[in-house]
Amino acid sequence: MIERIKEILSSIEGLNGWKLNEKRTESKELFFIKKELDMNRGKNVHHIMLTVYKDFDQDGKKYRGSSATAIHPTMNEEEIKKAISDALYAAGFVKNEYYPLVEPKVEIQPIMENRFRLESMSSWMPKLTDEIFIGDKYNKGWINSAELFLDNVKIRILNSQGVDASYETYRGELEFITNWKEDESEEVELYQDILFSDYDEKLISESVDEMLKICRDKAIAKPTPMLENIPVILSGEPVKEFFYYYYDQAAARSVYEQTSTAKIDQNIQGEDVKGDKVNIAIDPYLDNSTSSSPYDEDGIRLAKATLYEDGILKRYWGNTRFSYYLGIKPTGNIRNIIVEGGNKTLEEMKDGPYLELKVFSDFQMDSLTGDFAGEIRLGWYNDGEKIVPITGGSISGNIKEVHKEMYLSKETQKTNNFRGPKSIKLLNVSIAGVE
Amino acid sequence: MKISRRLFLRLFYFPLVKISNDLAECKINRSIHFSGYDSRIGGERDELENSSIIDYLIFSNQSDKLVIYVIGNNFLRGCNMQVIMSRYLHDKKQLLKELVSELSKAFKYASILGTDICGKTYSVYKTGASINDSEWTERGFVVRVHNGYNYTEYSFNSLSEEGIDSLVESIKNKVNDDISRLKNSTVNIGTYPVIDEDKIIGEVFKEVEILPEEVSAEEKIKKMTRIKDEAFTYSALLVDFRIVYGECHVSKIFISQNKDLEQSYIWSQGSLSAVVRRDHNTKFYYDSAAGLRGVELLDELQHKIKEVVSYAEKLLDAKKIVPGQYDVICSPGISGLIAHEAFGHGVEMDMFVKNRAKAAEFINKEVASELVIMHDGAAAAENVSSYYFDDEGILGTDTKIIDRGILKTGISDLLSALRLGTKPTGNGKRESFERKAYARMTNTFFEGGKDRLEDMISSIKEGYLLDVMLSGMEDPKNWGIQCMILIAKEIKNGELTGNIMSPVIMTGYVPDVLKSISMLSEKVEISGSGACGKGYKEWVKAAEGGPYIKARVRLG
Repeated sequence: MIERIKEILSSIEGLNGWKLNEKRTESKELFFIKKELDMNRGKNVHHIMLTVYKDFDQDGKKYRGSSATAIHPTMNEEEIKKAISDALYAAGFVKNEYYPLVEPKVEIQPIMENRFRLESMSSWMPKLTDEIFIGDKYNKGWINSAELFLDNVKIRILNSQGVDASYETYRGELEFITNWKEDESEEVELYQDILFSDYDEKLISESVDEMLKICRDKAIAKPTPMLENIPVILSGEPVKEFFYYYYDQAAARSVYEQTSTAKIDQNIQGEDVKGDKVNIAIDPYLDNSTSSSPYDEDGIRLAKATLYEDGILKRYWGNTRFSYYLGIKPTGNIRNIIVEGGNKTLEEMKDGPYLELKVFSDFQMDSLTGDFAGEIRLGWYNDGEKIVPITGGSISGNIKEVHKEMYLSKETQKTNNFRGPKSIKLLNVSIAGVE
Repeated sequence: MKISRRLFLRLFYFPLVKISNDLAECKINRSIHFSGYDSRIGGERDELENSSIIDYLIFSNQSDKLVIYVIGNNFLRGCNMQVIMSRYLHDKKQLLKELVSELSKAFKYASILGTDICGKTYSVYKTGASINDSEWTERGFVVRVHNGYNYTEYSFNSLSEEGIDSLVESIKNKVNDDISRLKNSTVNIGTYPVIDEDKIIGEVFKEVEILPEEVSAEEKIKKMTRIKDEAFTYSALLVDFRIVYGECHVSKIFISQNKDLEQSYIWSQGSLSAVVRRDHNTKFYYDSAAGLRGVELLDELQHKIKEVVSYAEKLLDAKKIVPGQYDVICSPGISGLIAHEAFGHGVEMDMFVKNRAKAAEFINKEVASELVIMHDGAAAAENVSSYYFDDEGILGTDTKIIDRGILKTGISDLLSALRLGTKPTGNGKRESFERKAYARMTNTFFEGGKDRLEDMISSIKEGYLLDVMLSGMEDPKNWGIQCMILIAKEIKNGELTGNIMSPVIMTGYVPDVLKSISMLSEKVEISGSGACGKGYKEWVKAAEGGPYIKARVRLG
């Protein structure tokens, strides 16, 4: 199919470049209600996305238009030609500043080691299933339902400059719901979705066990009280979401499009920072991350890069196009984020009253404005004397009003494409309690 | 009436095609290329085929009289145009029937859904533009078979007449191998009855005013660029102004032993968003439109430019809300968000099967104010999720979920209905042919009431008018909802003060929110510009809405 498309492309006039992104996916999927298999699915699909480039001049300035179109494996010659012709026509009206395509490099194609490769996917599914239900061992708590996906993905990237890169990876996903029912209280549930790319014998069973224990606390949680001027400690997944602000602000695209005001050699946290300063890097190879890849979508070979050192923005990250616009060396699109831990241990962070929040309905950080908020599904309130699980209500704030004095835990966590502090302690967060 | 270049091409490919009630059987045996004029002419066939001014031609099935329509550069309006079924699916229909027939010899139930979705998304912003295939673009198939215990599905997107025997063998081997491995492991396999279907043969091809193909990419980008340029005349604080417009031509075919269904429709969606900055304070505001419409949607967006810029500027002076309980008026968009999160996800009946829905315990019980009537259904309204049949071959319906405050029923996919012994409601939707079908929302909305918005505002001593949704999330088991809202317009002593708060998070216990509804305006507005996920995945198009409603909620 690829050769057929290349042949057609070579016969088309007015084309100034092209890129092909090929993805072949074979998957196995199991759907459970409690411990019973409700459905099984499989797929074998082949996707090709073609991007065509057309250069033109206007008022003495050079532009490069592009348009991406799907080439389905069932398309005949006539349909492929029409899709390319339509895309090329459209590219002529896409007025973007000129940028070069990625040039090829002579190198050995990388092989990403993976334990899933050792056996067939059909063999892995019963094994992974066992690990889901190992943790389902409590009388008052159980797994309500689970969905398990394992994809084998083969990627190939080609362009008109001669790039021809390929690699193979896996994408695993487990979505599960845990329930807990205490004698006197209402039955409660919590949702969890974990992603993985390699086999880790502890990941699934430990995640299930952790969620069941959290669910147990939710079953006995009290309504979040009305609180003012109390430190808020974010733990777990919300920490990852919080740090996306710094990642997005350092994106070359955001800077070029002026949605980011972050400046090189300036402290993103402002002057006179009292708490921990952020140290953030991006790394294309993070263990067991579905975002790990040797190449980005344009075919750039990826390598680790430091974005922030002690709060100071050291460099922007971005693909060839937006890096070219800013006149910087492209890092390529890297989606694994590494944040260094801070100076205080969790124990030290929890000295005195606090509200620790771990599970939200959907904690969100708006990287443009810095606003963050979420409805509380589970947290713990320490009033200085006792610790009580709480639920309900919400928190809201703006990162620009909290990051001059925030504390990152020394202990770190790893969740798919993020490695960073387990917790962050924030002041000046608004809490809408229930009582 | 008008006709498009795309339609011409379709006619060329289809010896028999339904165009409208009075036209059929078009045979055109050569391609023609003409420039267009905004007028209509008629004449003899030979003369007209050789003319250099004709854009399109069609034949009447009543006689040999040739009718020619010439289209100029304007976005012409008039009679609606019927959307044409995918030529690819049409051509493969017989092959799909053979596939189902062969699979039916090995399995007690076999069906196939074929999808061919094409479309483009256009974006224009300060520093550039883009025209790419829509993210909803796909072409592929999903087979469902009864494996002897329950159901197995297999998704693929390669199909050829020569390979049909090997495809059948491959599906049979995969199904049997997977089930055999699972049976020999510690996995318990649940059981489902075999689907018993009524015989239905049908097709629906919807209409739009302007087919996407009628307007060139150049014209669309030019129009969007004019919108962007106009926006920049309204504010010096504007950092960026983005216009996104997308169109999707959906064609689906469903074949089983008893069903032979085809449908094709077009939906489009668009949005305007303004980013403004003063010093280090950056804010954004957006508005959107969507529906079973074509390029005419761009005209609708054009009227919103000034307001979008104006509100973005106002947000620079927005204050933080003091957390607490407030009387509020929710705009139709926020009403829709509440409907969607409160008793949309909460009554998806696959949640009943899993015992995840608290709603299952409240059927025929009071869950809302007696003023509240709420619907969902592909046939309940006309918007982006108004289809003829769902992704399991069940015809779309109109489900009254809440009637005068009483929870009546949920919305269901086919397999959940089999498990529950209920009737499926045509709500089985897939993110794509590659994903499982779940019980999903279509058009979810509150019916209108009898109040006037002015009276609703004047009834509030201290509260807010909530407008512009950002996102929502629900807890179907414990009935908590989270609604992220961009703007809260302050109301004091029955009047809007002009002060706004932003952003705002609305949370609460679903019955508390719905029981507090005390006023509803007359007009219902439904919007389908967003996408709905199940948990954090399985994104599908869905529409929601309602009238303005007055309620009491917790804001933070």
